[in-house]
Amino acid sequence: MDGSEDVPKDFIKLKSEKLSVDEVSELVISPYCGAVSLFIGTTRNNFEGKNVIRLEYEAYTSMAETEIKKICRDIRQKWPSVKHIAVYHRLGVVPITEASVIIAVSSPHRAESLEAVMYCINTLKASVPIWKKEIYEDEYSWKENKECFWANSEK
Amino acid sequence: AVQQGALFRHGPAPTTGSALLAQVSVLYFARSAELAGLRCETLTVPRRITALQLWEEIVKVHPRLAVIQDQVIFAVRQEYVLLGDQVLVLQPGDEVAVIPPISGG
Repeated sequence: MDGSEDVPKDFIKLKSEKLSVDEVSELVISPYCGAVSLFIGTTRNNFEGKNVIRLEYEAYTSMAETEIKKICRDIRQKWPSVKHIAVYHRLGVVPITEASVIIAVSSPHRAESLEAVMYCINTLKASVPIWKKEIYEDEYSWKENKECFWANSEK
Repeated sequence: AVQQGALFRHGPAPTTGSALLAQVSVLYFARSAELAGLRCETLTVPRRITALQLWEEIVKVHPRLAVIQDQVIFAVRQEYVLLGDQVLVLQPGDEVAVIPPISGG
């Protein structure tokens, strides 16, 4: 057997084009894995009674990629059987119902990839320098993740 | 921020900075970019400076940033730093980013 199939890979991309679930999940498929687990973050059309027209994302791109690499490294320490990890985040305008983030993880058995996907999105929300602006009919708002330890969510 | 004068003297050619100052790139994101009115600039600041002092230097240049002081942190050379008493040792060309509360995912 070709030994290069064994090499675990991280696929990290920040891009402004529409994200494809097929494309991201295909990246992590492996003949050694019986499970691919996926998280898709989609944009909602309402917040506290206001109509959300669209979302806009921006990023400190170089640091965001570095922080996502750290998350991948942490995943591999916690779940050594994880094979491939893909984290794709969209930047710029994201229309309602479209995906802003897709995370895919493969592992031989399902428990590890399911847990790793949850860890990945939770940690991304706490540590990756990406910002979301919600545009309403008359105003806009820079969102703050509750996971962000330097946000003052209750003021 | 400090203006650098040009000195003409004999001996070794003058360098653009002194041992005490560093020219750093400051990056602004999200709400901080809106308040500052720009995304990127160079500032010359003391090489040894606390994070809070560095913030105060930035607010001198962009007073509108004062309103978000309680909500921002820095990323210095892509490591997060709270606005406190930690002494930063800045090198010329270092990247310092103003990081409002994040909302990725």
